[in-house]
Amino acid sequence: MSLFKGKVAIVGIGEVPSGKFPDRPCLQNALEACREAILDSGIKKEEIDTIIPTGTFFDRRYNTDMVFSKLVEELGLLRKVKNNFQVFAGGSSSSVMLKTACGLITAGLAKIVLCVQSDKVGSSPTQQMIDLFATFGIPEEWETPFGFFMAGSGSLFATRYMYETGTTPEQLASVVVSNRKWAALNPNAMLRRELTVDEVLNAKMVATPFTTREGNVLADGGAAFIVTSAERAKDLPNPPIYPLGFGSRVCHYAISQNMDLTRLGFYEASQEAYEMAGVGPKDVDIAELYDGYPIFPLITLEGLGICKRGEAGAFVYEGNTWPGGKMPMTTNGGMLGQGHTAAGGGVAILVEAIRQLMGKAGTRQVKGAKIAVESSMGGTFMDSHIVILGRELP
Amino acid sequence: MKEYKKPLPKPTPWSKPFWDGCKRHELFIQKCKDCKNPIFYPKLFCPHCLSPNLEWVKAGGRGKVYSYTVVHSYAPTEFSEDIPYIVAVIELQEGVRLMSNIVGCLPETVKCDMEVEVIFDDVTKEITLPKFKPVLSKD
Repeated sequence: MSLFKGKVAIVGIGEVPSGKFPDRPCLQNALEACREAILDSGIKKEEIDTIIPTGTFFDRRYNTDMVFSKLVEELGLLRKVKNNFQVFAGGSSSSVMLKTACGLITAGLAKIVLCVQSDKVGSSPTQQMIDLFATFGIPEEWETPFGFFMAGSGSLFATRYMYETGTTPEQLASVVVSNRKWAALNPNAMLRRELTVDEVLNAKMVATPFTTREGNVLADGGAAFIVTSAERAKDLPNPPIYPLGFGSRVCHYAISQNMDLTRLGFYEASQEAYEMAGVGPKDVDIAELYDGYPIFPLITLEGLGICKRGEAGAFVYEGNTWPGGKMPMTTNGGMLGQGHTAAGGGVAILVEAIRQLMGKAGTRQVKGAKIAVESSMGGTFMDSHIVILGRELP
Repeated sequence: MKEYKKPLPKPTPWSKPFWDGCKRHELFIQKCKDCKNPIFYPKLFCPHCLSPNLEWVKAGGRGKVYSYTVVHSYAPTEFSEDIPYIVAVIELQEGVRLMSNIVGCLPETVKCDMEVEVIFDDVTKEITLPKFKPVLSKD
């Protein structure tokens, strides 16, 4: 039995628009997201006793500023905040930050936790960012000498998956079509133009089977969320959003060492999270799935049991994940639509899951959504995380 | 000989025997003397049972393509002259996997589970990279 269930709630969110904003300092991304989350939650800022910034890639000095409590000072919380420390797992930072906050609150070691992400990878010097991302999670001794790089990583998963399941390039491309439809409804998204399957497939090939439009685009951004006890959440303005279940597996550091590139750890992670939450695939109203490349939402839909093995491609291609579809998926547009803000790509997806359950998603609101799944992955998709959130306790 | 400008592996004390083997055009993997599991890439101790009693065994050099991608653009600068090139995960007959390039064939002829065999590319005096080419079927 999980100790946190029913004891912990998410009570506020904040986010700045993703995109390329050369004149918007990264600190502004963090501060505006924090301020919005605090105001949204209705707590008094002095109640925050723990700040968890996740890691930032664009600048080492900025990252150490975050580690060394700059936000505590900027938010006027000196001698109020007890802990400021980083929780960082690349793209899966969203899930692990929330998990950490749940643990601290359940154990009585924190009362109100502010989790925040900010980065500026979209408007930093392009070549510098390409070189930086080219090396991320790529073993220097065993993969770099063969010309392997981050932007080719999703392709290795996709090639094997297509071979084993018969999934087509058109079906993979339809994930981009779906995510762009949602991004078109999201004022914080960077890529708001809808695309057709042909437009996706006719773009420049990067690494087979994926074209430029099937790879995420680097963006600046920032997002924050506030976690507290279910007790404290009772008299706050937002409906409390309860973390119900977590499941996860780390499956590789070097891609060559992942023994199943077509399933990753999502089958085990989903089962674990469902059991903890006391719900099943039929209870899921929204699937807020980490993308990066179109292959990952398909694998995750299957791991979650929302689709049978090999059927997720057709499911997305037929429009089931679009606005108005029976399984709304990645409703902020994901990194293929909102933009890839480094660790923030995952945080934006988690914040969107919370936003939808709170009923504050504007024109893209999924009516009556009660249970949302968030997934996340870090590095070269090394880990598979599933988080189940609920507007009510099941 | 043209200067080789691509990134090179920097061997560690426990991987050096592997790279020395490549230099002699021999492919080696580790094997745990205690739990008998084959190991690749080289480890300081056995990742299965944590035993430090590892030995080097010569691999047959044959395997299958587990997955691959053909790189057409946005490659790291040093590799742009090779475009299109094939990056693949190879599963050796011994059961371990490694990343490498597939060479000596047209990109469109590569398929998953295709049989391949190792060849050695002496890229510098110090470093030889193990690469793979298709095994030609003998009809």
